[in-house]
Amino acid sequence: MRTAAGMSPVAEERDDAPLLRAVARGDEDSLAALYDRHAGWLTVRMTRRCAMPDVVDHAVQDTFLALWREAGAYRGGGDVAAFIWGIGVRRLIDAIRRENGARRRMRWRAAEPSVVISAEDQVLVGIEHGRLGQALAELSPELRGAIEATVLDGLTCAEAAVLLGVAEGTVKSRCHRARLALRAALTEPATGPGTQITRRQAWETP
Amino acid sequence: MTSPSPGAAGQVGGSGGHTADDLLASYADGAVDGVLAWSVEAHLTACAQCRSALSAHVDSERLARNRSALLVRAAIGDGGRAHRMLRCCGVPDYLLRLLAATPSLRRSWLLSVIGVLAVVAGEAAAVGYGWIPGGRSAGPAGYPAPAVLAPFLLVAPLLVLAGVAAAFLPMFEPAYWLAVAAPFSGVRLLLVRAVSALTAALVPAVCAAFVLPGPGWLPAALLLPSLALCALALAAATFVDPSAAAVIAGALWALPAALLLATTNVPLAIVQWHSQSACAAVLIASAVVLFVRRDRFQLGWMR
Amino acid sequence: MNEDTAAVRVDCVSRRYGATRALDEVGLTLERGITGLLGPNGAGKTTLLSILATVNEPDAGRVSVFGLDPRDGAERVEIRRRLGYLPQELGYHRHFTVAAFLDYVAILKEITDRHRRAEEVARVLAAIGLERYARKRIRALSGGMRQRLGIAQALLGNPDLLVLDEPTAGLDPEQRLRFRELLSDLPGDPVIVLSTHQADDIAAICPNVIVLLEGQVRFAGSPSGLAAAAGGQVWSADDRDHGAHLSWRGGDGRWRHVGDRPPADAELVAPTVEDGYLMLSHAAGVR
Repeated sequence: MRTAAGMSPVAEERDDAPLLRAVARGDEDSLAALYDRHAGWLTVRMTRRCAMPDVVDHAVQDTFLALWREAGAYRGGGDVAAFIWGIGVRRLIDAIRRENGARRRMRWRAAEPSVVISAEDQVLVGIEHGRLGQALAELSPELRGAIEATVLDGLTCAEAAVLLGVAEGTVKSRCHRARLALRAALTEPATGPGTQITRRQAWETP
Repeated sequence: MTSPSPGAAGQVGGSGGHTADDLLASYADGAVDGVLAWSVEAHLTACAQCRSALSAHVDSERLARNRSALLVRAAIGDGGRAHRMLRCCGVPDYLLRLLAATPSLRRSWLLSVIGVLAVVAGEAAAVGYGWIPGGRSAGPAGYPAPAVLAPFLLVAPLLVLAGVAAAFLPMFEPAYWLAVAAPFSGVRLLLVRAVSALTAALVPAVCAAFVLPGPGWLPAALLLPSLALCALALAAATFVDPSAAAVIAGALWALPAALLLATTNVPLAIVQWHSQSACAAVLIASAVVLFVRRDRFQLGWMR
Repeated sequence: MNEDTAAVRVDCVSRRYGATRALDEVGLTLERGITGLLGPNGAGKTTLLSILATVNEPDAGRVSVFGLDPRDGAERVEIRRRLGYLPQELGYHRHFTVAAFLDYVAILKEITDRHRRAEEVARVLAAIGLERYARKRIRALSGGMRQRLGIAQALLGNPDLLVLDEPTAGLDPEQRLRFRELLSDLPGDPVIVLSTHQADDIAAICPNVIVLLEGQVRFAGSPSGLAAAAGGQVWSADDRDHGAHLSWRGGDGRWRHVGDRPPADAELVAPTVEDGYLMLSHAAGVR
């Protein structure tokens, strides 16, 4: 991988909103500028959820195209990046569905998730050192994936099912099990490492 | 997969120290997982500086390629509401774009067709319903005199024919030689366009027929002549020059129709059973000829 | 040239329009790389190129493109899959934008997936230098830009056979240079045949040249071979020489003459491709 050359200089947070407004007015240069600022992290974040680079590329293009059409839906609450991710994750799901051969496209609402994600993100930023972080780290990857999709990405169980490549019922049961495990971990008094190993075995998906 | 210890994550939100960049690089590589990745992502949502720093670790060629594709798609556009609606119904995107190049599916053409129909049907209705004194008495069996409906019956199938002609005549396709030299099946292109143009022209014609005074089956009686006319034009185009074929088909309708309307007293002879059967026969014969000689549309070779 | 490995073979092809013989038993072979078709207007270049592009059929003779016969329906479609064609009179849907037109041609070339199409259109726009005009309507473009658009559409899909009818017409010298660079950089080393009536295009771009005069092939070889056809018959003088076939004043103020019998005291000069072409034209009786 080569490092980027000539990427835009560091963008101030408050510059994103006017850029979005310019995109809503149909300014193509602003769309390109928005792409330059946000495509990098969007690509990486999507790649972490879907390993197929072609699908991610298409989803990134679709995301900015959707922004091109729906930039006016941004109401100014929450980060622009969160707004973009809300659109992006659903485009990714669309792209995965297309890849799997589904024909019908569901309609997504772009504006809603930004509030949800921001709130979760605020919590998550400080969790690594806390007990919640430790509890999450001890979940098995499948359970953690289900939590990530439904809580961090704000998807419904149906959408999360497409992203994770499992049945909707499986997602529901994994979320349920994960929540139980987290609740148990957070209400237990702090213990030594030995007990944690036992707990991990209990929580692993069969 | 290496997973840096939770302690390193605390520096994600810092002012960009050495460790933070390492973490971003690992994250860009997909080497960061679990709760740490969540923290990174949560932080990136809020921090433009780290987003910028992360971009430096992403494959710039890939980003550039997507950027140009994005700008091209933004330039092409998505075709408007009708396009989107049809796409939701499952029509493939590329067929819609092919249809967008057809002159008889453009708004200007459709508006002209509706305009002509409105004038002709309006005049017939006005006279038939007695809104304006036309000095025409009712014909036998309570139907309006043939002359009242004559202009409409003459014109409506011709309008449908014109729409289909615009879909396949080379003179309406500026990039005709490109279309011929291209692998996309000429027959398929022709069918898609002809059927769409046919539908787009028939719908207003049938609707206009509902407005008119006359038997209730008048709208349905328009279908066979219109279809037969279009099929005849297409079949003839496999023998002669397409423009000539369209003109011949049009003349073959206009002349007998005018003759019948002028000479008989039987109202609406043109849409009575014998005419309808004749149209059906022409339609079937033309369809057979078209099927047998469909290769001519693939060839596009000059005579 | 080895007959068996030639990518494109034309055997004894004839075509007439009414009383005019556009092509008279033309035979030639084309290899990978650039071949120039040189000839005056009416020599049959457009007819020959349209036959190669499978949009026209010869009255007699056989054509073989990559071993495929255009007379067979399925093989003809296969040839078209590997073909990029710029006709002499290319019409555009005037209300289309540049990007929309290229998108349309890409669909005709069977690129049905819209992401792949966008990438291909972007690639071709970048190659031809028209990225900034993607949203412009074609009717707002100048003649030179429309010509470049025509070349761009021929490049869609990375064709193995590029048939270009007068691609340099309407291009200014700088654009001509870019066009030459573009042709040399094409991936996949396609067979390229382009027609022109300007000898300096041949000299600059084409390692192979075929001269077509009045429907017949008069020369097939390299540009230096064509120049050599006028060897010893080109001279330079201060004044006009009436014994020469052709005389004209060069940029340096001296007269250049091409003729059968240079005067004894003539200063012979090295012939150029254009001189060779003029000699051939004169020999064929073409003015």
